[in-house]
Amino acid sequence: MNPAQAKSSPLSQPQAETELQLQRTWRVVVLNDPVNLMSYVVVVFKKVFGFNEDTARKHMLEVHERGRSIVWIGLREPAEAYAFTLQQWHLTAILEPDEAH
Amino acid sequence: MKRIEVKLSLPVVAPLLDVIRGLADDLAHHPAVASPQAGADAEMDEAWAGELVASQKSDVATLLALFGEEFFTDAVVYFDPTNAEAIARACSAVRLRLREKHLRGIADELLEAGEVQVSELEEPVRKAFMCYLFLATIQDLIIQHLDQSIVGS
Repeated sequence: MNPAQAKSSPLSQPQAETELQLQRTWRVVVLNDPVNLMSYVVVVFKKVFGFNEDTARKHMLEVHERGRSIVWIGLREPAEAYAFTLQQWHLTAILEPDEAH
Repeated sequence: MKRIEVKLSLPVVAPLLDVIRGLADDLAHHPAVASPQAGADAEMDEAWAGELVASQKSDVATLLALFGEEFFTDAVVYFDPTNAEAIARACSAVRLRLREKHLRGIADELLEAGEVQVSELEEPVRKAFMCYLFLATIQDLIIQHLDQSIVGS
């Protein structure tokens, strides 16, 4: 980066990084656990994301068989809100940067 | 409002309530699922965990309220749209804590496939596992009968 440009930037570097983090897209990923019932996970997906039965079951089976499923992709703030809600339902949810965007 | 009533066996369920009560205090202070991404921002982690614990504590209180004085008279519990969500979540929290505290010796694959031989378990693991199954049954009942009230609320 050109130092002159950095000096004249209205944002300090940490602020700029925060801005970038907020603008990039993130994945909400649910990880498998051996405790929660399959039927429970389906209900949680329907409740939290408004999925229909088929979509909720598809994601649940992906979690069960592959150990993880990407259930939502979007901006950081709503992604955090979804991860928090999933954790309120005691599913293991993480955020990952979406490399495709 | 849809409401389901379930008659339980008092001699079977009463000892399991002690197991749940024994974990309730822990669940009032620590989340059932530790954040897998903890550590990046300590202040944020603390706030996040605090909110999770507050909601978890309230859910577990709703579950325990099913088994108040009245339960020891008629052995009946009631589920309806006002308590279904909280109880389903509380069952999940207690089951996760049961696994962590008492069922670590059981392989994940056996637990997930439901292939645990209860007769081969020794106390207190056996009692903890019975409690684990009991809570799954409650969750199943709620999902079978009140799924729409949870999803639609």
